Amino acid sequence: MPESEIELRDVRKVYYKDRIDIPVLEGLNLSVPAGEFAVLMGPSGSGKSTLLHLIGGLDSPTSGSIRVADSNLEQMNERELTAWRSRNVGFIFQMYHLVPVLTAAQNVELPLLLFRMPSSERRKRVATALGVVGLGDRMDHRPNQLSGGQEQRVAIARAIVTDPRMILADEPTGDLDAKTSEEILNLLNTLNTEFGKTILMVTHDPRAASHGQRLLHLDKGVLERDERTPARAPAAVS
Amino acid sequence: MPLRVVYLYRNLTRNLSRTLLTCCAVALPMTIYVLSMAVIKGIDRFLDNSAKQLRLVVGHKTSIINPLPRGHRAKIEALDPTHQRIMSICGVRWIGGTVQNEPHPLSTLAVEPDTFAQTFSDYYLTTEEMADWQRNRQAIIVGRATAQRFHWNVGDRIQINPSVPPYTPFEFKVISTAPKAIDPITNICRLDYLEELTKQAVTIVPEDWKLQGWVSFFFVKCGSQADVDHFRVAIDALFAHSPDETRTQDEKTFINEFIKQQFDLPRNLMILASLTVFVAIMAAANTMSMNLRDRMNETAILKSLGFSGRVIFGLIQTEGLALCLSGGLVGALTPYVLFTYSPLRNFTVPLIQTLEIQPIVCVQAMGIALVIGMLASAWPAWVGLRLPVISALRNLE
Repeated sequence: MPESEIELRDVRKVYYKDRIDIPVLEGLNLSVPAGEFAVLMGPSGSGKSTLLHLIGGLDSPTSGSIRVADSNLEQMNERELTAWRSRNVGFIFQMYHLVPVLTAAQNVELPLLLFRMPSSERRKRVATALGVVGLGDRMDHRPNQLSGGQEQRVAIARAIVTDPRMILADEPTGDLDAKTSEEILNLLNTLNTEFGKTILMVTHDPRAASHGQRLLHLDKGVLERDERTPARAPAAVS
Repeated sequence: MPLRVVYLYRNLTRNLSRTLLTCCAVALPMTIYVLSMAVIKGIDRFLDNSAKQLRLVVGHKTSIINPLPRGHRAKIEALDPTHQRIMSICGVRWIGGTVQNEPHPLSTLAVEPDTFAQTFSDYYLTTEEMADWQRNRQAIIVGRATAQRFHWNVGDRIQINPSVPPYTPFEFKVISTAPKAIDPITNICRLDYLEELTKQAVTIVPEDWKLQGWVSFFFVKCGSQADVDHFRVAIDALFAHSPDETRTQDEKTFINEFIKQQFDLPRNLMILASLTVFVAIMAAANTMSMNLRDRMNETAILKSLGFSGRVIFGLIQTEGLALCLSGGLVGALTPYVLFTYSPLRNFTVPLIQTLEIQPIVCVQAMGIALVIGMLASAWPAWVGLRLPVISALRNLE
């Protein structure tokens, strides 16, 4: 059994709005081994994105413990979480959110500004990341010169350029057509199987979900089902 | 080029018209500041020169518009029988004047001719000019800026309509344009000529007009600063309880007070400059706030990528500083270049020889632009620092 990359114990998350408690996650327990491609599904408001944000260190739980990539997130302050995030997590969003005035290469280089490294090394990493997503020939293109699928590939390159241990994807194919979605999902599969990245993906699309090895169904903040998909085996973690 | 610089440059050029307008909003106050400081420092130079002349100005105690009898001169001279401490005394009367078909008033003074050159040695008249001055009762020394404005040259015969009785045109002969005098505007003519013409033109003179034998001020040239301090008190004591009591001040204090009474240019310029700087802060702050609002999603994404609040704060502050420094550079350098290398360098304003813009004033303007940048971007940078990434990300969904 591979070591757990993500370990949640009795995690609760309650938002306060207009003096009303709104519980989003209710005592969630979850363990995701390193190198697994897990998919989070569930209706709107079930707590999928909140769970993703908690695991990514963007938010803190109301109670419970979250251990991700050998770190207890609930014990870290904002500054430590930010530094931890830059090293361990790559985020992919539905709407790509690239900086429109920067080229593809410059967008991918952005997270590397947080690391001390020579510019030659940065350029090398950017070229490698864009090569992995198949956009080695689009480095100098601005986002408005790229298709939606290509923009999402740049966003994936940006997520992996720091070589994080895991990738958190929030509906990465939600804005793409079926063919492009398939390409992006295959790319995520490649990152999982060939590069050993742990991937946690939120989606509403059952076809997208079939690319994962494990399906987690959330409803009203509770993990309702946890099942293995038949097709693929977990990646070997190097 | 480093990505941070590229990102800064691209952010500034995203909305070019907004950036340029904000640059102008910062540049204009900086230009006003630089010009104001040039005027203020010019006046300071003028006042410092006045202080160096060791002159006292004796006027009427009640008001500068009340004249003093010319007989006061002999009484003041008698305070120093040795003539070692009071070097000379010159009575001066203001006649203003205009040139025909010219709306702008002139600054013209009629002076006692025998002591003018000694009392106002800072006019640096040549021997030939001195001889002309003594020989010709119609002699007039015109300020070089005034001469330039009306194309007057030495030897020209000119007409000035005085602003005092008899108001009929006076004819003068230009004997000098006083190229070295600190005051480039004022014209100097002879008091005896003014009195003679007044006598001829005005047949029935009401007694309270005081046209003959009266002056506006006496300028008393002293031998040392100690003499200035001594006679400032002694002269007023001499005329105490007389019908024409005096108020004696050193020339620097007198001019300073006169400026403050008339228009207080330095103070008003500083108020104007401060107000425009305040407006620049508001304009730049507005731009920075709009920039942040436009890029709120990007800021949230940068935070999710691992950019700390401090880094975001730094990025926004740097952008604000770059924006305002660009405006400051344009605003400070434009008047510097114009008034140093173009024909505008001969531009004169009352009391100021030429508008000289010193580099240090431009550096000060850049410093102010820096402060504007810091203040203008402080709030947006704080908002960026504190931006809750989760709620910002939710707004993107």
